[in-house]
Amino acid sequence: MRGLKGLLESNPRLRVFIYAGKGGLGKTTLSAATSIKLSSMGKKTLVFSTDPQASLSDVFEQNVFGKGEVKLAENLYVMEIDADKKINEYVASIKKKIIDMYKLDSLPADVEEYIDSAAAEPAMYESAVYDAMVDVVSEGKYDYYVFDMPPFGHGIRMIAIADVISKWVDKITELRKQAYEYGRVAASLKRQKLTYEDEILQELEYIRGRILKFRDIIMNTETTAFMMVMTPERMTILDTEKALEMFQSLGLRLTGIVVNQVYPPDLAKRSDAPLYLKKKVEEQRKYIAEIAEKFGKYVVAVVPMLNREPKGLDTLRLVAEELWSPSKKLEEYI
Amino acid sequence: MKFLDKLREVVEGLTVHGQSTAIMKVKAQIDNLFMLITLGDMLGIPILPPYYSLRLVPYVFPNIQNWKRFMLRERDVTDLVS
Repeated sequence: MRGLKGLLESNPRLRVFIYAGKGGLGKTTLSAATSIKLSSMGKKTLVFSTDPQASLSDVFEQNVFGKGEVKLAENLYVMEIDADKKINEYVASIKKKIIDMYKLDSLPADVEEYIDSAAAEPAMYESAVYDAMVDVVSEGKYDYYVFDMPPFGHGIRMIAIADVISKWVDKITELRKQAYEYGRVAASLKRQKLTYEDEILQELEYIRGRILKFRDIIMNTETTAFMMVMTPERMTILDTEKALEMFQSLGLRLTGIVVNQVYPPDLAKRSDAPLYLKKKVEEQRKYIAEIAEKFGKYVVAVVPMLNREPKGLDTLRLVAEELWSPSKKLEEYI
Repeated sequence: MKFLDKLREVVEGLTVHGQSTAIMKVKAQIDNLFMLITLGDMLGIPILPPYYSLRLVPYVFPNIQNWKRFMLRERDVTDLVS
């Protein structure tokens, strides 16, 4: 196992680390640990949670929710976005823009209703979070970005959608240009002025740019390490197999796998070890053997189960070291 | 000036009015299609994610009423002919 260190050495252009996987496997913990390690090397690092059940606040034992970029330690910044607040502000700005542009007293009921219902859609939440993700990466203020992605479905589907949407926007832009041409001819015949055509084209271009940028952040293997988190359990093995198939169909390349929450096998070797623990370790060894066989080339690190919850900077540092340069080989866990 | 304006309208009516009306009709059709793709979810046809399509609402706002009427019209005048 080459650890994150090996990963960075073989690809020094990496800027973005993404941890994905189903809920409860420790994505947040590993994201936090990664950011701590990177920042400790003097690199300005931002750890960003895109999870609706964001828990970086919990892991770092400090409330950072909805507070923008918060400095936790030297070079270490955290951002846990309050998507609801962002959506509300965004919607309010759209409404205000209409009212200002057309000098209205208030919005017509149906338009207001439409905007409000659009804002309440579940997709809105994800879009807002990903948009913020694009924001911080585009700004480029940091050396490294670590993203804690929400459990599969959402994030991955968003990539699939990105392609479709980008093509749609292409088509729409074409359509708009056509409308513009017709409008221009008619307007010049009638000597009228066209309204907002340029603005509409600009907006479409902007939308496409955002969507493509998002896709690039996720898919560009030169600059992004797309990591999956596993635990030695039947269910995650099955899930990971499915996920890998899905990635392949999307053209997304997995960079590495971190196996988390592994009981140290030495514990079971002690003569006074309770049967309970022996059984547990025995089972894990079986699954790690399966992981090694199926995903061996992806496994970057194995993070042992600690005797306490991995919270706070000091404990996270332990996790970070193991993640950075693993102390054991994968075979030693089998 | 008033007289010149009137004259311009008369000349316009005699020469290019038909042409520009035809062009405007095509434009209206393209516009309707555009509205359907961008704001289709207003009528229950979601295509663009609303987070981004909302950005377009201010610019197409003046057309929304006409467009909805056009889309929700049960019968078209041309139905009577056929």
